[in-house]
Amino acid sequence: MALDKKSGYRKNFSLGVTFIVLISILFILSLFLAFNYSKKSIENDFVSEKVNVLEQSIKPYNDFFQNKMPEISYYSGYLDSSTASKFVDTVMLKYPFISKVTFYDTEVKNMPVKDGINANHLGIGPKSIFQFGKGVKPDSVKLYSEDDTRSFNVGSDFNAIAIKLATFVEDLDTASVPTQEKLFTNFSIVNSNENKITYLNIPSREDLRVYKDMIRHKLNPSPVYQQDVMVFNLDAYKIKIINTRPLLYQTIRIEPLTYDPIDTSDENINTEIALPGAFSDFKLYLISSKSYIKKEIFIYFMPIALVLLLVYGVLLLVAFLIYRNLNINSKMFKLQYDFVNNLTHEFKTPVSVIKIAGNNIKSATALSQKEQQLYGKILDEEADKLNGLMNKLLAFTQIENKAIKLNQEEVNIVDFIESTIESHTLKHPDFKMTYEVVGFKTFITDPVLMGSLFDNLAENAYKYSKPEQKKLHISAKLIKGVLVFRFTDKGIGIAASELNNIFKKFFRIQNEYNQMGSVGLGLAFCKELVNFMEGEISVKSKVGSGTEFKIVLPYNS
Amino acid sequence: MLKRVFLLLMVALIWACKGSNNEIIPVDDFFKTQDKAYYRISPDGKSLSYLKLQDKKLDLFVEDLATGNSVQLTHLNGKSISFHFWTSNNELIYYTEDESKERKSDIFVINKDGSKQVQLSANEKSRLRVIEDQLIDDKYIIVASNKRDSTVFDVYRLNVRNGKMDIAAKNPGNITEWMTDNRGVLKIAVASDGVNETLMYRENENQPFAPVITNNFETTLQPIAFSEDQPNILYAISNVNRDKNALVALDLKTGKEKQVLFANDTLNVVDAKYSRPQRKMLFVTCETWKKEKYYLDDSTRLTYSKINQLLPGTEWKIMDKDKMDKFFVVRTFTDKNPGSYYLYTASENKLKKLTDISPSINQEDMSSMKPISFKSRDSLNINGYLTLPKNRKSVNLPVVVLPHNGPGGRNSWGYNAEVQFLANRGYAVLQVNYRGSTGYGKSFYAAGFKQWSDKIQDDVNDGVKWLIAQKIANPKKIAIYGNGFGGYIALNCLYKNPDLYKCGGSNSGVINLFSYLKTIPPFLKANLQMYYEIVGNPVTDTDYMRFASPVFHADRFKSPVFIAQNPKDPRVNVAEGVQFIKELKKRNVQVTYIEKEEGPNPVMRQQGRTALYKALEEFLQENLGKK
Repeated sequence: MALDKKSGYRKNFSLGVTFIVLISILFILSLFLAFNYSKKSIENDFVSEKVNVLEQSIKPYNDFFQNKMPEISYYSGYLDSSTASKFVDTVMLKYPFISKVTFYDTEVKNMPVKDGINANHLGIGPKSIFQFGKGVKPDSVKLYSEDDTRSFNVGSDFNAIAIKLATFVEDLDTASVPTQEKLFTNFSIVNSNENKITYLNIPSREDLRVYKDMIRHKLNPSPVYQQDVMVFNLDAYKIKIINTRPLLYQTIRIEPLTYDPIDTSDENINTEIALPGAFSDFKLYLISSKSYIKKEIFIYFMPIALVLLLVYGVLLLVAFLIYRNLNINSKMFKLQYDFVNNLTHEFKTPVSVIKIAGNNIKSATALSQKEQQLYGKILDEEADKLNGLMNKLLAFTQIENKAIKLNQEEVNIVDFIESTIESHTLKHPDFKMTYEVVGFKTFITDPVLMGSLFDNLAENAYKYSKPEQKKLHISAKLIKGVLVFRFTDKGIGIAASELNNIFKKFFRIQNEYNQMGSVGLGLAFCKELVNFMEGEISVKSKVGSGTEFKIVLPYNS
Repeated sequence: MLKRVFLLLMVALIWACKGSNNEIIPVDDFFKTQDKAYYRISPDGKSLSYLKLQDKKLDLFVEDLATGNSVQLTHLNGKSISFHFWTSNNELIYYTEDESKERKSDIFVINKDGSKQVQLSANEKSRLRVIEDQLIDDKYIIVASNKRDSTVFDVYRLNVRNGKMDIAAKNPGNITEWMTDNRGVLKIAVASDGVNETLMYRENENQPFAPVITNNFETTLQPIAFSEDQPNILYAISNVNRDKNALVALDLKTGKEKQVLFANDTLNVVDAKYSRPQRKMLFVTCETWKKEKYYLDDSTRLTYSKINQLLPGTEWKIMDKDKMDKFFVVRTFTDKNPGSYYLYTASENKLKKLTDISPSINQEDMSSMKPISFKSRDSLNINGYLTLPKNRKSVNLPVVVLPHNGPGGRNSWGYNAEVQFLANRGYAVLQVNYRGSTGYGKSFYAAGFKQWSDKIQDDVNDGVKWLIAQKIANPKKIAIYGNGFGGYIALNCLYKNPDLYKCGGSNSGVINLFSYLKTIPPFLKANLQMYYEIVGNPVTDTDYMRFASPVFHADRFKSPVFIAQNPKDPRVNVAEGVQFIKELKKRNVQVTYIEKEEGPNPVMRQQGRTALYKALEEFLQENLGKK
C-alpha cells in the first residue's frame, strides 16, 4: 500500500522532469534557431537593403533627369544666356551633384557652319557658348561667340549631339509620329565615362520635317532655327547619400566602380551596388564592422527571444499547475483510502464481537439466564454501534449535500448541556465535565444536529486526553447578539502545523490516541454542521496543555 | 466610384424633384448639327439644290420649286461633296473629296435633271476654291488652285465644258485673297507678308497689279463689291484711320476714301450686302451685343423689314439668292436655337421652312444668353454674356467661366452648344470679351497686346468678381474652362487665383508661349513679328514669356485641373502637355486627362466629343457639385 503510494509520486515526478527537460531543450533550440535566423536575415538585409539606399539616394538624379532637364524643351530654343543662367542657378541649388553646366546657344541653318557639324546643306553650330558653375569666374562665363572664336573650340559634347540630331533627321520618317521616349533618347546623351549629360531641346515635328528638307535642298528664304544644348557635368561624390538603415550600414561611400581594396580586414563586412545612368562608373560602397552588425542582429533577435521566453514561461506555469492539481488529487486519494481503511476497522470491531457472541451462543449447549442477558446486551450494543456509525456516515453525506432540513425548536440550554454531560459520564465515568451558561436561557435550534455537534466535540475531548486529564469545560454565552460556545479540554493539544487540516474530511492526526475506531470524519462533520447552521467554528490549541473549540452561532429566540 | 454614382443619383433626384422642366439633355443632342446643309438657288430662281443625308451619305439633290419634285443627282461612295454651286440656270458644279489621307478631289458638272455629267478633273491632289461662280463667255468660271505649288493658290479660268484650266494670274507667293468685279474680271489681289496687307488693283487683265494701300494687321480693309456705276470704286469695310469699322467707297486709283456710306463711333460694321441687279449697297450689319442690320436707304428698309416681321426675335442672314433678288435662302438663329433654313419669296412675301439645323434641340429647354457689361479695374468697359440655367433662382449659382479662344476673336450672341450644355447641367456660364477681342474697335484690340498674362486675365477675373458682387455667383463654386488660348487663360487664372476658382480646365490649350510661337515657321519672319507683337517676343522678353506660360508653373497649381489634348495634333507640343500633367500628378494635384481623337470621320469625331464633354461634366460635378 505504502509502496503503491510512493511509486505513484515517483511516476509523476519523473514525468514532470522529463517534460521540463524536453521543453527546456526545445526552448534552447528555438533560441538558437531564432538567433541563427536573425543573423541570416540581417546578413541578407545587409546585401538586399542597399537597393533602397540606392533608390533613395538617386531619387534627386532621376527627378532631375526625368522632370527638370526636359524643362529646357519648354523654351523651344529661345533660351538666352541670362535665362539659362537663372535656370542653371535653380538647378544647381536643387541638385548639388551638378558641378558645371555648359550652354550652347545653337543655330540650325541651311548653310555650312565653320564650327559644328555640317550634313549636306544642314549646318548645326553654336552661336555662343556659356559655362555656369560654382568655380567659374565671371570673366570666363562666355566661352565662345561668333565674333570671338579663339578662346574655345567647340567640344566633342556638342559635336556628338549635333551628329545625333543630323542622323536622326536623316533617318526620320516624316509621316509617322515619333514617340516621346524615342525623341528623349535621341536628343540626350548620357556619358558615364565623363559623368556628363548632354541635352538638346526636343524640336517640334514641324521643325524636324524642315530640317530634313534642309539636308537635301537649299530652301528660300534660308531659315535659321534656334536650338539649345546644355551639357551638365556631374560630380558623383556630391550625391547626398540617404542611409535608409543607419543601424545596418555603418558607413556608405561613393567609390569608383573599380574600387576594390585588398586590405579589407576581417573586422568589416561590405557590399556594393552600381549607380545608374550618368553615374554608372561609380558604385555605392557600404561597410559595417562585425560588432556593428552584431548589435543590429541583437536588436532583431531580442523581441523573438522575449516571445520565446514568454511561451516557455507559460508552459512551465501550466506544468506546475498540472503538477499541483495532481498532488492534491493524490492526497485526496490517500485520505479516502485511509477513510475506507478506518471505516473497515470501525465496522470490524462490532462485527467481530457480534460474530464471537454468535459463535458462543451457537456452540453453547444451554444458555444461562446471565449468559443470555450478556450476549443479548452485547449484540444490542454492537448493533447500536453499527447503526450509529451508519447514521453518522449518512448524516454527514446529507449535510454535505444540504439534503436535510433544519428543525427549529426552542431549547433550554441548561437542560441540553446537562443531558449531554449525563450521557457521556454514563459512558465514561472518568470523564469530568463542567459547564457555565451566561446571558440567556433558551434559544432556537435543531436539537438533533446540536446534539451531534456536542457529542462529537465531547467525544474528541475525551479521546484526545491523557487518562488522568479527561476534563471538559463547556461554556455558553450570549455576547453582542451571538451565541458563543467554548469547549475547553486539557488534552494533548494539536500542533500548529496541523491546525489548518483538522477540519478537512478524512483527516486524522497520526498518534496513539486514534489508532482504533476513528474515521477522521468528526471535526469535518462538526464544521459542516456549524456551517449548515450559519455559524463559525474555530480552534485554539497548545500541544500538551489543551485545546479550545469555539463555535459562534446566530442567536434567535 | 460608388460614391460618385451615388452623388449623380442624388443630383438626378434633386433635379427630378425640382420639376420635370429641368431635364438633363444628352450631351450628343447639343452638338449634333447637320454638318452640311448647303442650299443653293439657281440663277433664275426656279430650282433649289441642296445636300441631303441619305443612307448615312450626303448626296446632291435638286428640287423644282414650282412643282416641288426632287431629283437625286449623285450617288457617291467613299467621297463627300465639299461644295457645289449653279453655273447657269440648268447646270451645277460639284466638288468632291475622297476619304483617303491625301483627300483626292474631283470636279463634275451636271445638268439639273441629272443628265450630261462631265468630269472636269479627276484624282487631283490639289485643292480648289471658287472665286467667281458666274459663267463668263458661257464656259469659264474663275477658281483658285494650288496645283502648281501646294503652298500658294494661283487663279485659273476653268472651262466647264472640257475641264481645261488656264492660268489667269500667278501668285508670287504672298497673295492671300483674289476678287473679281461684277463681270468676272479678276481685278483685286490682296498681298500679305503676315503683318501688313496690301490691296492691289488692276483695271483690266492685261495690266499688272498695282498696290493701292497698305495696312498693318491691326487695321481692317475688307473688299465687298465693285461699284457698277463708278469706275475704280470699291466698296469695302474699313477702319483705316478709325477705331470702328465703317463701310466706305474706296478710290482704287488714289487709295483714298471717296465716300463714307456708313460710319458710327459706337457701331462696328461686320458685314455688308451689295445687290448686283439694284447696283447698290443694300445694308450693313453691325455687331454690338448682337448683330443688327442698318439699311442704307428707305426702299431697302421696306423690302427687308418684311423678312424681319416674318422672323421676329431672330437673327437672320441671306445665304444665297437668285440673280434677280426674288428668291432668298435665309438662315436664322437665336441664342436658344441653332436655327433653320428658309426659302423667302419676295414677290409673295412668303417664308417656307427648308430644314432645322439641329432638330434635337428644343428651344423651350434652352437658356437665354444675356449681354452684360462691367468696368474693369482700370475702368475699361468690358462686355460679355451671361447664360443662366433655366428654372433656377439667379442667386448663388455655380459658375463656369468660358474665356474665348484667341488671339483676337470674340464671343457673339447666338446658339452655342458648349454654353447651353453647361447651362443645362445647372451652371451659370460667363463669357467675357476681354481686351484684345475683336469687334470692339482697333484700340480695344490693341489693348490686349502682350497682356495675356496680365490685363486680359484681370478682365476675366473682374468679370467673375462682378458676378459675385451681383450675388448671382456662388463664390465657392466657380470653374474656368477654355479652348486654345481660352484654355491658356483658364490655367493661368486658376493657379494665380486659387481663392477665386475652385477648379479649371483646358481643351487643346496653349500651355507654353514659346512652343506656341514655335509653330510659326521662322522663315515667315514678318508673320512671326506680328505674333511677337500680339503675344510677346521670346527673344527679348524671355523672362516674361516664362512667367506667362503655365507649363513652367506646375509647382503652383493646387486646384483640380482638367486637360484634354489630341496626341496627334501637330500644332501642340504633346510632350510638354504630358510632362506638365506628370508633374501635377507628382504633386498630388487632381488631374483629369482626356486624350481625344480628331479626324475627318464624323462618327469618330462625335464619339471623341461625347467622351470629352462627359468627362468635363463629371469633373465639374465632382468639384462644384458638392455641398
